[in-house]
Amino acid sequence: MAASDRSRWPMFARLLWRSLTVRAGRVGVALGALAVGAAVVSALLCLYLDIKVKMAEELRAYGANFVVGAPMGGSERGVDQADLQRAVAAVPGERLVGASPVLYGVVRLDQGNAVIAGVDFPGLRRVSPYWQVAGGWIGVSFDERNAMIGRKLAETMEIRLGDTLNVLGEATGERAHLTVKGIIDTGDAEDEQMFVALPLAQRLLGLPGRADFALLSVTVEGAEADALASSIDAAAPGVEARPIRKISESDGVILDKIDGLMAVVAAFILVMTTLCVNATLTAMVAERAPEIGLEKALGAGHRAIVAQFVGETVAIGIVGTLIGLGLGFGLAQILGQAVFGGWVDFRAAVIPVALAASLLTALAAAVVPVRRAVRIAPARVLRGE
Amino acid sequence: MFWRLLRQSFLQGRRRKILSGLTVALAATLGMALATLSVGVGDKMAHEMRAYGANIRVVPKGESLSLAVGGLDLNPLKGRETLAESDVPLIKDIFWRNNIIGLAPFLDVPVALEGKGKARLIGTWFQRDMPMPDGDAFATGVRTVAAHWRVEGAWPVEGAEDQVLLGKRLARRLGLGVGADLTLQTPNGPYPVKVVGLVETGGDEESAIVGPLALAQTIAGLPGRVRTIEVSALTVPETELSLRARHNSDALTTAEYDVWYCTAYVSTIAHQIEEAVVNASARPIWQVAAGEGAVIGKMQVLMAVVTLAAFLSAAMGVSALMTATVLERAREIGLMKALGASLAEINAQFLAEAAAIGALGGLLGCGFGALLSQGISAMVFGQSVPVPWIAVPLVTIAAILVALAGAAYPARTIARLAPVEVLYGRK
Repeated sequence: MAASDRSRWPMFARLLWRSLTVRAGRVGVALGALAVGAAVVSALLCLYLDIKVKMAEELRAYGANFVVGAPMGGSERGVDQADLQRAVAAVPGERLVGASPVLYGVVRLDQGNAVIAGVDFPGLRRVSPYWQVAGGWIGVSFDERNAMIGRKLAETMEIRLGDTLNVLGEATGERAHLTVKGIIDTGDAEDEQMFVALPLAQRLLGLPGRADFALLSVTVEGAEADALASSIDAAAPGVEARPIRKISESDGVILDKIDGLMAVVAAFILVMTTLCVNATLTAMVAERAPEIGLEKALGAGHRAIVAQFVGETVAIGIVGTLIGLGLGFGLAQILGQAVFGGWVDFRAAVIPVALAASLLTALAAAVVPVRRAVRIAPARVLRGE
Repeated sequence: MFWRLLRQSFLQGRRRKILSGLTVALAATLGMALATLSVGVGDKMAHEMRAYGANIRVVPKGESLSLAVGGLDLNPLKGRETLAESDVPLIKDIFWRNNIIGLAPFLDVPVALEGKGKARLIGTWFQRDMPMPDGDAFATGVRTVAAHWRVEGAWPVEGAEDQVLLGKRLARRLGLGVGADLTLQTPNGPYPVKVVGLVETGGDEESAIVGPLALAQTIAGLPGRVRTIEVSALTVPETELSLRARHNSDALTTAEYDVWYCTAYVSTIAHQIEEAVVNASARPIWQVAAGEGAVIGKMQVLMAVVTLAAFLSAAMGVSALMTATVLERAREIGLMKALGASLAEINAQFLAEAAAIGALGGLLGCGFGALLSQGISAMVFGQSVPVPWIAVPLVTIAAILVALAGAAYPARTIARLAPVEVLYGRK
């Protein structure tokens, strides 16, 4: 038994090797079909597994989803700026898109009273990407010569870009002369307000080191909003973080929809691609019926023939899938760059799925035609019937 | 002779042909279904995006500036303009009326609470059947427009003038819960109301009382008037044209103006509302409108790119299959050559066969693809998706081209070989 095993192995290996090398062109086609299939499957899986993170980032186009301010029911207005900074620092850095403290008050302009908001401009710009700004944003947080004003305020007071505003804080008697650098249109309350750097607003209003609240834009997947709010609360006593329901709740709904859509589409493409590859391989194996007939005529057993084809298929399947995984990772990066302008993570979970799908496809494609061929009398196959 | 050869070849290797045809059909199904979905995904997502609430706010023209800080207006009701409540249904009568999926009017008025300071009463429609000019009723109100409000307890019944929602923050401050009685002190007498629910919104409403519009109108002494109307409309993402129109719609050419007017941009709908309602100024709420545009744009690109990648891979699969089936028939080609067939004749036969398989498979796939896309859309969005019929010829042509591309190369290679070699089975 052992002796016959030993003599059978070199033969099996030689058959396998010859069959793969002699018909290099056709093996190439099979490899190509499998590799392309595996590439698409793995690229889509990578993209699908990343889609929630990527879309959560995209949803930050909706602006702030957290507000950190004085605890509910507290009597004192506003909070210490340092407390807000502690709260912002409690958010993991890679998830914080932007944050800005806000301090409101009323000041006197030449044309009448106006609501003023002291903010951190670079932070606010990241928090509110949806602001429609004519002119430009103020680039730094310590710019005390420029201001941005709301569209409606500008219309009512007939202020144009580049005009100089004389601002007087009535409670403090502080004055400031500001150039209008940008006019903003949000369709909301901001249209009636003017925005200046926080330190200037604190001086004008006589509230050094204070702010009303901070707006935070944080990438959050689904239902984590409440958990994140309580972790901020724990890290920064004296303030309370609240998710802005309008945004955080809806983000969850939208993310689930997108996730569902991608899951269905990815599953569908997986099945279709697999079927296509399967058909190609089936055709290629069926083509080799005469070869099988010859082997049978020379005395090969059914099991030996099936073993040879299965071995061949597994070898092609593994090599094709490995090439496909490499291509797929590249394809995922192209898709990620094209859609999100960012890299897509490679997940280890993709490898077994792609490998299993490809091998099952290839084996299913090999087994059926080979079984049919071995059942037929060799003479008929050889004659080409 | 050509046609006979073609017919014979079709009848002969029937199983092989069916396999190729089915594969082409699979690829076409993939292309068709994904194309349908990527065309429809914008509309479907726009519908989902309505979760973010109203994207257009209508206010009276020439309204004076508010000096509101932290939800408290420093000069409330001072010289404030209002809109007529009877004008609200006009918004549902504009050119893009079917894109308006919800609206709610608001009127807010300061009230004093017995010994507990001041608060703001926001009057609105909770859920009202608004009579339409064409006779139907349109069910709308704050429950449609502000789907994100979280209410603990129950929503007030529309028409009951003494049921209110209490903002969560205000409730905490007052120490009141669901079922509490509250008396609103106003210059024209006290109004007892019942708190039927607590509302959490993450916005200003949390420190206010939300009640029926009629109550707020009575207290404010403004019967039949409203301050703002929030409109939730289905829109398409902004483009360069709509940006220009927003800036200055007079600078557009007539053709551009028509395109803009007949596209559901948020600025177009706002413009049409201004045309319909006298003395109103309608502005997009950019937080919702612009955010929506960004996300929907991403989804469309995502679907388009995925469609392209999947179709390319399916196309390569089909090509590989066609290559395999032609290679399989090398002997036949050798025989034809030996019998004196010219290169052109051999090519023509194989290509015609491939084209026929491509066309049949392509058409079949288009049918399946259209059905499948409906299934996916029903599963994910609970709605059907319109089939872009222009995709049918495009997908079919693509299927034919893919089949031809697969068949052309091996047919040429084999036809170049010496007949003897092929017949002998060397290649």
